[in-house]
Amino acid sequence: MRVQDLKNRRGQMRVVETILASFIIVAALSFVGIFAVSPTSPAYEITDLEKMAYSALHDLDQQGLLAPAVYSHSWSDLRTILRITMPNDVYFNLTICKIDGSPIYSGSQILYGDLDTFSEARNVVSISYCLVGIPKFNADGVHNADYDPIILVFTVTRG
Amino acid sequence: MANRGKRGQFIIIAVMLVALMIVSMGALMHNAITYYKHEPWEEYSTLIGDIEINSRKLVELSLASYTNSIGSITIIETNLAKWEEDLVDAYPNRGVTLASSGAQMLNSSQSSTNTATSNAQASFTLNILSIGLEGYTFNVLTSLTLSIKSVTTVDSNMTQVIAVVTSETGMPVTDLGETNFKVENATKVAVSAAYDSASVLEYGILHNGPANATIEVCDQRGISVVVSQM
Repeated sequence: MRVQDLKNRRGQMRVVETILASFIIVAALSFVGIFAVSPTSPAYEITDLEKMAYSALHDLDQQGLLAPAVYSHSWSDLRTILRITMPNDVYFNLTICKIDGSPIYSGSQILYGDLDTFSEARNVVSISYCLVGIPKFNADGVHNADYDPIILVFTVTRG
Repeated sequence: MANRGKRGQFIIIAVMLVALMIVSMGALMHNAITYYKHEPWEEYSTLIGDIEINSRKLVELSLASYTNSIGSITIIETNLAKWEEDLVDAYPNRGVTLASSGAQMLNSSQSSTNTATSNAQASFTLNILSIGLEGYTFNVLTSLTLSIKSVTTVDSNMTQVIAVVTSETGMPVTDLGETNFKVENATKVAVSAAYDSASVLEYGILHNGPANATIEVCDQRGISVVVSQM
């Protein structure tokens, strides 16, 4: 009877060992997964860049930083804000146009990276973002609150 | 004996298969959790956000224009009509159409009470055909209210007015300073903000104008409201 019990227990131990082994494998895979940096999929790169570009402008506009910088022509401030907002490996070029497409400003101050980067890059994304205007103040209060639409053309690529 | 041994092996194989299923489930769960990253709708949600934010700003801008006597009461309709046209040009391949309705503005600054409000509202319906979005509606309501709580004569020259300024949320407007307040016929105006248990934040306006002076406040959005005291 005892020998029989021991034989049965030996079989159970194999099962327990296997379960423990599977737990170790799962735990090891999960642990490695924390440190694994999955490469960016080229299939989703365009979508990711579009999302990043839209989100950056949208967040800045929501925080009330974008429109004052654009309408006061603070180009270097705008470049600094975008540099802080965008990841380091993403290059950008911001062109500011009127609603008919004619550029208001297109210079090196709102450019991060080299122009060649954009011509040579594999995945380049260009999105547009609309602004309607801001009230302009002087010593007597508001002197201008006209509808003054502007389109921001934001071109981004990964370096 | 041989049969018993084989039975044990089958259990091990079964357990290994279960373990394999657990690992596969883990991989599937990981894919399910991170699936949204590869979906393109997030960029469109910011596009909707752009149109929504700037529609709100345009309503505020129209109210600022009207309350500062730059534009007439119909300025909101004119601006919104232009905005609807311009959106089509701004996003040519997206199939964006925006329709506004019920746009109106009100300025109660002319009435002689201790509270005055400037407000504007409009309803919008947005369609973006490229993503099959149809009938997305949002409402915009913006306002600025100035309430005079008390007027105290400090001395023969100076008067202190305690005022509360609130926005459309009902919460006090916190970012106002001396440049935001104007007091009729006053040459000196000093403004200080203080906590109040009832209205959260109130402004003390110390001025050398008449005790029943007309007080105007203009917030950072450019919206003005005037209280002509009794």
